[in-house]
Amino acid sequence: MKTMSVLAFFQILLLGLLLSVGSPRPAAAQHQVQQLYQVPGTPEAPDFALNDIDGGVHTLSEYRGKVVLINFWATWCPPCREEMPAMQRAWQQLREEDVVFLAVDVGEDEDTIFRFTADYPVDFPLLMDIDSSVIQKWPVRGLPTTFIIDKQGRITYRAIGARDWDAAGLLDRIRALK
Amino acid sequence: MPRQCYRNCYAGLIAAFTMLPVHAGAAPVIEGVVAETGLRYWEWNSQGVLFRLTQRLPDQTRAFFLARGFDAESAELVATQCVFQSMFRNTGSKGSGAVDIDLDDWVVEANDERSRLLTRGKWEAILESSGLQPAAMIAFTWSLLPTRQSYQPDDYNWGMTSYGLAPGMKFNLGFTWRHNGQLREGMLRGVECPPDIHPEPGSVQ
Repeated sequence: MKTMSVLAFFQILLLGLLLSVGSPRPAAAQHQVQQLYQVPGTPEAPDFALNDIDGGVHTLSEYRGKVVLINFWATWCPPCREEMPAMQRAWQQLREEDVVFLAVDVGEDEDTIFRFTADYPVDFPLLMDIDSSVIQKWPVRGLPTTFIIDKQGRITYRAIGARDWDAAGLLDRIRALK
Repeated sequence: MPRQCYRNCYAGLIAAFTMLPVHAGAAPVIEGVVAETGLRYWEWNSQGVLFRLTQRLPDQTRAFFLARGFDAESAELVATQCVFQSMFRNTGSKGSGAVDIDLDDWVVEANDERSRLLTRGKWEAILESSGLQPAAMIAFTWSLLPTRQSYQPDDYNWGMTSYGLAPGMKFNLGFTWRHNGQLREGMLRGVECPPDIHPEPGSVQ
């Protein structure tokens, strides 16, 4: 009887394996995107001074002592758009916990970004790196790229591509830096 | 009854083992058509890497760059160089290490000739004398798949890749990456440059 149970178990296991090999799922459904890369050496984050779309000026150094999420993005970038709602939901959970979110748009003006917010409403500051001079000082090669800066102003985590920012695992990683 | 079941289970196991190599040995490439647009795609999904090329009609690319400050001549030049929407992802599990790519190492085979992709640096040289405004060049540069990138697990980029071939041409793409420093390679065969057709409004998204 025990032998039969073992055989049945392996049969079901193999059947599942065969089905999974023969039935490819769409790329987006294959992965939960919740991993962050811990940046070796935690280098100091380059400072900047950028306008937001409402005319305010933000420097990174003014947020020293707080955990900062910095997202480099553009309105035409599909994964950037994809992660904006999750980023807004994460921001709603973290805004009262002294965590700062800054989304740095690369190469676009306030009118373009303002139109974008009609479809993707967000409350955190949307900054403009119109001449791309800031992104060139950061280790960014593609959009979106997001960094988590610790309270000492050091780059602690990096994510290339969109993430499910309001997933519990990611929120915990950010909270752990406080 | 138990003896019958035993025989059935055993036969099932043998059948499963017999079928497994057929599936596991199949090429890790999927070809298909995007249902919403009718555009074709080629996808490699193996060895911790997911790489996907989806056709971009020249009209889509013209429209994209005209809306970002390109003049008609420059937009036409880019749009007719066999442009694909591309996605490269490290699908490895946590702690499995980085996947590094350099698009300048990839090889395009078409009509018995080998060539390289038109990557960011090559495009910047081509467009240097075009007089494009900085904002247009910024959008262009960042809309291309990065020439070099290091992807940790779950990291990925979207971006355009272009192959310097005429609309409708077929080619093979030999691509390489390094996983924890070890060179790996894959191949997409029979990739077809998007045709220069002009679909009705609303038929392609």
